[in-house]
Amino acid sequence: MNEDNAATILTALQHADSNFPSGSFAFSQGLEGLASLTGKRPGTDEITNFVREQIVHRWASSDRVALAHAYRAGDDLDRVAEIDEELDLSTFCETLREGSRRNGQALLATHVRFGTPGAASYRQRIDRDTATGTLPVVHALLWRRLGLAEEACVAMSGYGLVSSSLTAAVRLNFVGALTAQSMMPPLLSLVATYAGEPVAEDAEICGFNPFGEIAAMNQAGLALRLFSN
Amino acid sequence: MDTIDNIPAAETGTKPLGAARVGIGGPVGSGKTALIEQLLVHLAKRSISTAVITNDLVTAEDAERLRKGGAIDPARVLAVEAGACPHTVIREDPTLNIIAADQLDRLYRDLELTIIESGGDNLASTFSLDLVDWWIFVIDVAGGDDIPRKRGPGVLQCDLLVVNKVDLAPHVGVDLGRMLEEARSVRDGRPVVATNCRSGENVAAVADAIAEAVLVAR
Ligand SMILES: Nc1nc2c(ncn2[C@@H]2O[C@H](COP(=O)(O)OP(=O)(O)OP(=O)(O)O)[C@@H](O)[C@H]2O)c(=O)[nH]1
Ligand SMILES: [Mg+2]
Repeated sequence: MNEDNAATILTALQHADSNFPSGSFAFSQGLEGLASLTGKRPGTDEITNFVREQIVHRWASSDRVALAHAYRAGDDLDRVAEIDEELDLSTFCETLREGSRRNGQALLATHVRFGTPGAASYRQRIDRDTATGTLPVVHALLWRRLGLAEEACVAMSGYGLVSSSLTAAVRLNFVGALTAQSMMPPLLSLVATYAGEPVAEDAEICGFNPFGEIAAMNQAGLALRLFSN
Repeated sequence: MDTIDNIPAAETGTKPLGAARVGIGGPVGSGKTALIEQLLVHLAKRSISTAVITNDLVTAEDAERLRKGGAIDPARVLAVEAGACPHTVIREDPTLNIIAADQLDRLYRDLELTIIESGGDNLASTFSLDLVDWWIFVIDVAGGDDIPRKRGPGVLQCDLLVVNKVDLAPHVGVDLGRMLEEARSVRDGRPVVATNCRSGENVAAVADAIAEAVLVAR
C-alpha cells in the first residue's frame, strides 16, 4: 500500500469512528421502541432484521442517494440545500426526521470548531433556515472536503448506521457487546453491496420503511426514553 | 452564490462566543436540580440573563420541574437526551449539548449564562472543557462522609465542590466539619461550599462563585 492510500484509509477511520463527536450515540433509529412494539425484549434475529430493513428501505434508497447527489453537487450549496430538504421531507416520522437533523447539526458543530471548509457557511444557512442539516447531506458536504471519494463516504455512512444501531442495542441491554460485534459482518456486507452500486444521476430519494417508522413512533410515545429516537 | 469556501472567520476556532457555560454534575439525587432552582432565584435578583439545559437520563422530568418552578421562562429550559449515558453527553461527545447551547445563544441575544445539568452519574463524572467554561460537582452528606476521601475525579477536578443537604448531617451521623475539612484537603484548598438547597442556605455563595468565575471576565 502506498502512503497516500494509507492516509486515505486513516482519514476514513477517524471520521467513521464512533468516538468522533457527532451526537450519534443518542439515536436508536426506533430500536428503543421495538421492545414495546413486539411485546418482548428483541434478540439477535429481531435486531438484525430491524437493521436490515433500515439499510434496505431507508439508508440505501434515501440516505445513500441523497449523500451521493450532495457529494456531486460539490461547492454548489444551493443545490446541496435542495437535496437536504428533499431528504428531510422524505422521512415520515417526526423523531426520525428531527434525529437526522440534530445528528447532522451536531457533527457540523464539531467541524465548525475544527474550521473544516464549508462547515461554518453551511451552519449559517441552517441558522437562517435555508438548509436543513440532515446527517447524510452533512456527511457528503464535510467528507468530500476531507478528500474522501464518494464511494468511501457512502460506505462510511452505512457503517455509521450499523454501528450506531448496534451500540444502541447494547446500551438498551438487548444484546451484549460481543454479540453485537458478531452481528456486524452480515450487516456490513449488505452495506457493501449497496456501496458497490453507483447511484444513478436521476435516482430519486425514496425511503419507505413502515416497520421502522412505526417502531420510532412507538418510541416517541414512551414515558421512559433513553434515546432521542 | 454563497460558495463553500466563504467562511466567516469568527465562526471557527475552538471557543464559541456567547453566554458563559457552567456545568453542574454529581451523583443521582445529590440535589443538582434543587441547586439550580435556588440559583435561578439569585441570578434573577442580579438580573443575569440565564438559560438551562438538562440531560435527564430517562425523561424530561428535571426540565419540566424547572419550567414549572416559575423562576425562569419555560422556553429557556431545554432537555437533551443522553442516550442512556450521562457522562458521554458531557464529556466524550458533548456535541448535542453544544448545539443546544448554541441554539440558546441564537434565540436569546442577551443571554449571559447557560447552566448545563448532567444526568445523575457516579464520582468519576467530569465535564469536558469543550462544553463548559467552569463546572460544579454536587455531593450530599447523606451519601456518606467518606465521599471526599474516595477522591473521585468529579470531586477532585471540579472548579467548585458543593456539599449539599447539610440539614441531614445529624440524621445520618455525619460530622459535617470533618467532611468539609477532608473535602478541602483532597482538593488542595480549592473551593468547597456547604449548602441546604431546600432552605436555600449558602446558595448565594454558589451564585457569587459563578459570577466571579465566568461573568466578571466578560
Ligand atoms: N433535606 C434536603 N433534601 C434536599 C436538599 N437538596 C435536595 N434535596 C432533596 O433531594 C432529592 C433529590 O434532589 P434533586 O434536586 O432532584 O437531585 P438531582 O441531583 O437533581 O437528582 P438527579 O437529577 O435525579 O440525579 C429531592 O427530594 C430534593 O428535595 C437539601 O439540601 N436537603
Ligand atoms: Mg436533577
